[in-house]
Amino acid sequence: MTQQVSPGAHGSSLNRYAAITGEITQIPISFPQRRNWWIAFAFALTLLLIFFVSAIVVFWNGVGVWGINIPVNWGLAISNYIWWLGIGHAGTLISAMLLLMNEHWRNALNRFAEAMTLFAVVCAGLYPILHLGRFWYFYWMAPYPNTMNIWPQFKSPLTWDFFAVLTYLIVSVLFWYIGVIPDLAATRDRTQKRRQQVFYGLFALGWRGSARHWARWQQAYRLTAAIAVPLVVSVHSEVSLLFAAGPIPGWNSTVFPPYFVLGAAFSGFAVVSMIATVLRYAFDLEDLVTARHLDLLGKLLLASGLMTSYGYISEVFFTLYSGVQHDVLTLQHRLGGTYAWSYWGAVICNFVPLQLLWWHNIRTNPLPLFLIGLSVTVGMWCERYMLLVTALYKDYLVSSWGEYHASFWEWSLYIGTLGVFLVPFLLFVRFLPMISSFEIKEALYEEEERGRDA
Amino acid sequence: MKQLPSQHPETKTRSAIRRHPEGKGERSFWRSLEELAGTEEFRRSLEAEFPSLAPLDLDRRTLLKAMGASLALAGLTGCQVQEDEKALPYVTAPEFNVQGVAKWYATAVTMGGYAQPVLGKTLDGRPVKLEGNPDHPFFEGRSNSFTQAALLDLYDPHRSRAPRYLGRTATWDAFDKAMLENAARMDASQGEGFRLLTGTVTSPTLQRQIAELLQHWPKAQWHVLEPINEDFRREALQLLFGRRLDAHYRLEEADVIVSLDDDLLGSGPRQTLHGRSWSKRRLAFQKGQGRCLLMATEPSPTLTGITASDRLIASHSRIETLASALAHQLDAGIGRAANLTPKEQTWVSKAADALTASRSRCLATIGAHHRPEVQALGLLINERLGNFSRTIRFTEPIATMPPEGERSFDRLCEDMASGRVATLVMIAANPAYAAPEDRGFRDHLGKVGLAVHAGLHYDETAALSQWHAPLPHELESWSDARSPDGLVGLIQPLIRPIYDVRSAHVVMENLRGQFGGDDHAIVQATWRQAWSGAFDQLWRTSLHRGFIERSAYPDIVIEAIRAIPPTPPSQSEPTLHLIVRPDPTIWDGRYVNNPWLQELPKPLTKVTWENVILVSPQLAEERKISNGDTIRLVTDRTSVTGPAWIMPGQEAATVVVTLGYGRGPFGSAMDQMGYDAYRLQAAESPWHRSDVKLETTGLKQDVATTQKHHAIDGFDFIRTVAAPDEEVKTGRNSPPPSFYPPTVKNDPSWGMSIDLDTCIGCNACVVACVAENNIPMVGKELVGQGREMHWLRIDHYHEGEPNDPRHYFQPVPCMHCEQAPCEMGCPVNAAVHSFDGMNLQVYNRCIGTRTCSSFCPYKVRRFNWFNFTENDPPEIQAVRNPNVTVRARGVMEKCTYCVQRVSDVRIQAKKEGRSIRDGEVVTACQQACPTSAIVFGNVSDPQSQVSQRKGSGRDYSLLEEVNTRPRTTYLARIEEDLAPQKQSKEGKE
Repeated sequence: MTQQVSPGAHGSSLNRYAAITGEITQIPISFPQRRNWWIAFAFALTLLLIFFVSAIVVFWNGVGVWGINIPVNWGLAISNYIWWLGIGHAGTLISAMLLLMNEHWRNALNRFAEAMTLFAVVCAGLYPILHLGRFWYFYWMAPYPNTMNIWPQFKSPLTWDFFAVLTYLIVSVLFWYIGVIPDLAATRDRTQKRRQQVFYGLFALGWRGSARHWARWQQAYRLTAAIAVPLVVSVHSEVSLLFAAGPIPGWNSTVFPPYFVLGAAFSGFAVVSMIATVLRYAFDLEDLVTARHLDLLGKLLLASGLMTSYGYISEVFFTLYSGVQHDVLTLQHRLGGTYAWSYWGAVICNFVPLQLLWWHNIRTNPLPLFLIGLSVTVGMWCERYMLLVTALYKDYLVSSWGEYHASFWEWSLYIGTLGVFLVPFLLFVRFLPMISSFEIKEALYEEEERGRDA
Repeated sequence: MKQLPSQHPETKTRSAIRRHPEGKGERSFWRSLEELAGTEEFRRSLEAEFPSLAPLDLDRRTLLKAMGASLALAGLTGCQVQEDEKALPYVTAPEFNVQGVAKWYATAVTMGGYAQPVLGKTLDGRPVKLEGNPDHPFFEGRSNSFTQAALLDLYDPHRSRAPRYLGRTATWDAFDKAMLENAARMDASQGEGFRLLTGTVTSPTLQRQIAELLQHWPKAQWHVLEPINEDFRREALQLLFGRRLDAHYRLEEADVIVSLDDDLLGSGPRQTLHGRSWSKRRLAFQKGQGRCLLMATEPSPTLTGITASDRLIASHSRIETLASALAHQLDAGIGRAANLTPKEQTWVSKAADALTASRSRCLATIGAHHRPEVQALGLLINERLGNFSRTIRFTEPIATMPPEGERSFDRLCEDMASGRVATLVMIAANPAYAAPEDRGFRDHLGKVGLAVHAGLHYDETAALSQWHAPLPHELESWSDARSPDGLVGLIQPLIRPIYDVRSAHVVMENLRGQFGGDDHAIVQATWRQAWSGAFDQLWRTSLHRGFIERSAYPDIVIEAIRAIPPTPPSQSEPTLHLIVRPDPTIWDGRYVNNPWLQELPKPLTKVTWENVILVSPQLAEERKISNGDTIRLVTDRTSVTGPAWIMPGQEAATVVVTLGYGRGPFGSAMDQMGYDAYRLQAAESPWHRSDVKLETTGLKQDVATTQKHHAIDGFDFIRTVAAPDEEVKTGRNSPPPSFYPPTVKNDPSWGMSIDLDTCIGCNACVVACVAENNIPMVGKELVGQGREMHWLRIDHYHEGEPNDPRHYFQPVPCMHCEQAPCEMGCPVNAAVHSFDGMNLQVYNRCIGTRTCSSFCPYKVRRFNWFNFTENDPPEIQAVRNPNVTVRARGVMEKCTYCVQRVSDVRIQAKKEGRSIRDGEVVTACQQACPTSAIVFGNVSDPQSQVSQRKGSGRDYSLLEEVNTRPRTTYLARIEEDLAPQKQSKEGKE
């Protein structure tokens, strides 16, 4: 917005600040797209229902209703877990990392990116529980005093996964919530309805906007950001160890942690691009989420995509360079086996449309950006699936090779988790300020001050 | 306050407040004006709302009463919990019975009529495991898959439970009446039209009863039908020696064995015997004592052919030619020279040379399904080589036959067709199913006046008979039977009959109108008669031992050999050979209701729950057939459809079908599985026919197999050496470094060694493991999805050209890695290492993340995808080993090295204050193995057998490169013939 807003008199800029707050807080107060929102929400609720049905079926019968077997005893549950968690990463990256780096353009994106993170992590976190043979004992992963007198096994990547995801969920909730407090207060102050005043008032935690509040808030927000940033790296590194720690050809590779983190950021940026373009279109936020934002998102997507492609190349190179018989065979199975579609699907969906982002016109055009984001999301899904299945279905002993085909209940559960994501996200869009108005204003103010000084 | 006082509440309260003494200081706080006033209404309503605040106005007496009453009531609640208790404690406990301590009984189960000596383990009156009888001089405690699985038949929920008349449940009284009437008729006519049909009879008691019956009714006749029989072999012996004899092979004395399509080591009543004796020779050879050369020629791979170091592929008719050529080469006086291909010529010359070099310590054998003339030629070869009374010995026939001999079933069918049969009694035979189609038994059965069937199941024959009498399982009845070596085994019950059944011996008495006998007395009577004097003593010792010593028939020295008619030249090579064979896991169909055998992967195809039609790779290519394609085999009378399966190493124009499937309907899960190959059997030539056409249907069937890839693809999972003392190439001198500290080897530290050189892939270990460890069977559909639960699997590989590859077997239990990836992967400490070096799975702790299985390079872990054990019928629950946890849904399981057996022995040793002796712990798989391929023991003790095996140059670890340091290691297979070939291959590298 900085390009559009020219520095003007003090009074007019105050009005403009009020207008920004107004524009953002007005959305939840008097929602513009009621009909469309209800259609979308009904759709999301249907998906959520599918989730519950699928989850109950699994809980009732056991994971045997899925297509998993020996040797492929992890299936869509784990690949989707990684996929969702990866998507979550972009939110934290955009918010926390760019906050600490004082990149103010993030302010137009961070709120809904964080919300996306939150709900994606919830989706991800559900999977490891759903996939357990005895899900009712999932808490045995946690270190707690128990009659068995036993701790989790700290050598296991799953133990660290459990800690990582839990920490990530908590920090994401905190970070997102701290960030939204001032805007909740602004909404509270602007709404006319009693119920809304109580609702927003409760969650605004008595925010009055005093200087002391702002000072405390700044401290808390930046501190949480500083905690969140390393988590981006650690969480997906842990997740990659789920594979890399096993002595299975195609998994046992030191490149996995960075490869996974970059892939996660890549898929996350893709989903942020999709959400940004959709929200921008739906709520006429072109003046807040400007062409420059889309441009920057496109650049991030391109950069993280290229870094991910490096992971692909290095994996192939080192496999061939090592010449280890089993590893080479796994590579062959990836490139030409039963699941070659997932490998080539990942390569094509991830990296081919991505190249369009070299052009500025494409980057700033919402529709192509949305489509490329979609393509990358699909491509990264293929990648997660490919990494999991192609390593397990033909591992060492020829005799134990076998194929895996996801069953109906696995697909339905996956579709259902889209509902788990969409329902809270739509509620967020409906009831909370989806863009950080005060941070935009802060950025705007600083921009103006700088303009005046110059 | 919901209930307000009714009359002038306001005034009352107000005045009470006013009356309240001010400043008294006792109640400085009040919650309401009513409380302050302390009105009765307030108290009432307060008590109604909060009963616990009501004052307890109790005096001492009331309190004591109340306490007494509550104590009494508390005591009563203790009585309530046990209301569904049905068990009663022993009022007078049986002597020597200690609950939870196993008792072992020596007995036998039969296969094809022949006894397989076993020890039956019973716990609290339930038989839970069968193991070979170690005192038996020939079986030496070993067993095969059928013997191991016989236990489950006892508990088969589909067994027949009561007599039936015309399909409806009847009483034994009614049966008795019918038999009495029939006996009266037969008495009048001296048994005219009375026919008895049995399977192979080796039981002296049954033999006595049959003889008595035939004596009593001179016009009655006895017939025998054994679907998988050795009729041709008996005829060959008759042909050559002019009398009935049985031939016995002493494989332990044969330095050279040449098998012409004789599956010595394959399924059958002699499998354990042959496996045991062959492995003795092989183990001696490994120690450098003599040779052990096995050469084989066969149309389709068998366990014997795979074990052979030199395997020649030849069609059924070509084998006759080869036999003839071999005979001719050994002695120009017999056999005939033939045009052989260079490959055949090499093989025949090599065989002839080897046989000649090991004169009187060799054996040439021809499959029992070849024509009697050809088999006689085989015997003649042995005679010329001086093998008689050495590697091949002769005795009286173990199984008694009716006077018509091998053709007696044909005679029965003829008589039935012409209406000469008034009463047909079938004991433990199922001719309506298991007989060649063209005898027309089913059609003729209608012409029989009274058909009586006695059997374990209400089967096809029972359904067509007027009367069906349920027989008991061998583990719940008294009997006797000879094992294939001739020793009489005494069969004693381990449990009282579960259902309302009658022993075959009792039914035999009933037939003559005698009632009220019991099998114990009948069997005793036989031996009382035989032993006359010292019965009690001999009976006791024999029962205790499980067999009767010196009861085997003495060897007969052959003096005169008849001239055999020259073998007719084999017919010209047909376009398609159809070969009929027993099924490797369900035999002739009698085990079709046994899930342990149904889910047991067939040794070569790894197919479960059905039979397939084996085709050669050449034929498959020519007719564009792939695995699972439905194909049809058509004869002029009938056709059979089934799924095709490509068998590498099968003769190009040969198609193999196996018997035993396509049964039912019985209302069980085994209904109509597979195809019925009996329909393809021709009466005159049951094992081979050349007038069959193969048609493709374009349809496809799902075949459940536990191993989808068999080609080894150049991996070194199976290693070979060229000589017993050669070192296997490991590629590394020391194990690669590891992040984890080296494993401390406590004493004891358990380990296993599996000798691929003696493993014949017979599956005995797999079933033994299932029986010992309560492994659930999951059914065809789940096996097809890759969810079979076997802890121990036998991998089958082939290497080289699909048309003529080398086959290998490799049993794969858990490797019990010292650096186990599964242990590292488990987040909840369910996969742990024991102090004595075992990698164990703690079921209670497992939450089912399945990381252990993902990380396992050997994929030996099995997961309970559903609750496999919850809905088992009570019969199946009864077969479970109480010393092994029954796993519920959602937990991982795997081979534990039979930790329960280790614990048993450890406790015993502790009680006796000593250390565990070598060989004291025997795992279930090791115990069953007929060839001693599996050895288990303490690897910390350098003197133990397992340590010595691991010290051998042939010892190697599977997937050594993964650096898991397995405790289960293998001994490389010895392939002498490959020596030059291998060296040149290595030279190239």
